[in-house]
Amino acid sequence: MLTISSLRVAYGSRTVLRDISLEVSPGEILALIGPNGAGKTTLVRAVSGTTPAVSGQVIVNGQDLSNLSVTQRARVLAVVPQARQLGGAYSVEQAVMMGRTAYMSWLGRESEADWAAVRLALQQTRLESFARRSIAQLSGGEQQRVLLARALAQSTPVLLLDEPTNHLDLQHQTNLLSLVRKLAEEQRLAVMMALHDLNLVSFIADKVALLVNGELKRFGTPQEVIRAEVISEAYRTPVEIVSHPVTGAPIIFPQGVLNHSK
Amino acid sequence: MFRKRPYLLTALLLLIALLLSIALGAVFIPPGTILRILADLIPGVALDPDWPESFSAIILSVRLPHTVLIALTGAALASSGAAYQGLFRNPLADPYLIGVAAGAGLGAVIAMSLNWPTNLFGFYLIPVGAFIGAVATVLLVYNLARVNGLVPLTTLILAGVAVGAFASAVTSSLMLRTDLQIHRAISFLLGGSPMTGWDPVLAALPYMLIGMGLLSLSGHMLNVLQFGEEEAKQMGLAVDRAKVFVIVTASLTTAVAVAFSGVIGFVGLIVPHIIRLLWGPDYRRLIPLSILGGSTMLLLADMLARILLAPSTLPVGIVTAMAGAPFFLWILRRAKKEVFW
Repeated sequence: MLTISSLRVAYGSRTVLRDISLEVSPGEILALIGPNGAGKTTLVRAVSGTTPAVSGQVIVNGQDLSNLSVTQRARVLAVVPQARQLGGAYSVEQAVMMGRTAYMSWLGRESEADWAAVRLALQQTRLESFARRSIAQLSGGEQQRVLLARALAQSTPVLLLDEPTNHLDLQHQTNLLSLVRKLAEEQRLAVMMALHDLNLVSFIADKVALLVNGELKRFGTPQEVIRAEVISEAYRTPVEIVSHPVTGAPIIFPQGVLNHSK
Repeated sequence: MFRKRPYLLTALLLLIALLLSIALGAVFIPPGTILRILADLIPGVALDPDWPESFSAIILSVRLPHTVLIALTGAALASSGAAYQGLFRNPLADPYLIGVAAGAGLGAVIAMSLNWPTNLFGFYLIPVGAFIGAVATVLLVYNLARVNGLVPLTTLILAGVAVGAFASAVTSSLMLRTDLQIHRAISFLLGGSPMTGWDPVLAALPYMLIGMGLLSLSGHMLNVLQFGEEEAKQMGLAVDRAKVFVIVTASLTTAVAVAFSGVIGFVGLIVPHIIRLLWGPDYRRLIPLSILGGSTMLLLADMLARILLAPSTLPVGIVTAMAGAPFFLWILRRAKKEVFW
């Protein structure tokens, strides 16, 4: 269980996140949405501990993360960074093994448990056949699965993802998110992810948190948050929302497009 | 078969280079004889000496200390080069190019001018001065070159050149003083020729063993750092501690090399690069292999330096610069495509 309470983050005198309180249960996916600059990435970084919070707490299973060392924290919470071109000539296996840093000794010698965790992560992300390949040779979608596998190898109860589908095409977006969905349910992971595409959000998320200017505007199910008046106001763009004919999930259209097609 | 056994290959090459380095000189001493002379030193082994007495003297008091110092220097420069490359996430970091060698040189010159080594204790003090100079330089260059948490190629080289040039200028300006000791120190430093005799070897040895030993342990940290500091932290690496560890050990190792062998460039660039091409980027083996490969490479350069203009000897720093500069340009052209390692 991931609990964020009254979290406040400032860069100098400028407050970028104020009074954020959220909760994610095991097996649940929380999507962070909001216009550019709303603070989604900052929230992910603050929860992961890379950006210090001014006040407030991040608690995982009753443990306040601010009391943990960098190494202890990496055993509780793993981060999948934004998709980007990965350089270097490490093999997939080596890269995923680096996710075990928090369990390794200083020398980086791998134990049998480390290898088991790496094998499991490669299997979960369907990367076994790529294990010996160099990460630089993989496609964008495959590289993103490597970063996911690296985070899974950390064997944490909480998984954070920062816009993991940026730069990926539709097929890879869907594959990656379906994989995260499956892992959340099977491994009982508490997942929090920043996502841009609102239709992907309603396809994958159990809960949605809408951030605007560093404040939490709405927090609820996709049906509760992804509503025409809420989104239109937050994004300052008129939108229309229809329900998916089978699942009932909200589907969003910018209004201009609808008018134009008539 | 050697491709699969990097340690075996590099160790064998080093062994050959060591023997050759002892064998070559004004008189050629056959490797077989060298091994017998060395074996004779082992307590309990008494061989029938079938070699001229002068051979033992040449080997034990001239060639052996020289060879050991060259090997240690090459190992130190290559392993610290590899470590700086990992730390800066940039394949062109080299103790010479990023100005650390010049900074260490300045420190060493100041130390020597304060107290020219006349006994072993004096020799132990030089690396201390060089170490202070090296750490100060690396911190300055690192902070000057850093842009948004990255150390790009252009700013790294520019900051390194600028700070290195400044340190060299300060060193040269010390020449204006009429102090004889400073003159000796500077001509040694810029000459790029190692000191002679056992004293510098004995003084270098403890620092080198500590420095290179600790560098060999930093492989995993450097691997994780390749993903950037933020991700390294998220993976559980205590990033700040790791950075201090690498800076201190790499600077110590560089400083000792500079203190006793003068400024010798490009070894720290070429050796890790070749090893990366052959055996990949895993720093856990890149650093130990650079130690083995670096000593071999500098021994070869040193033999060239002794042979090319025989009977006079070229400073080994000139040989490495002549071979290294074209190599550097070649990497630079390749690196254009992939500026960040």
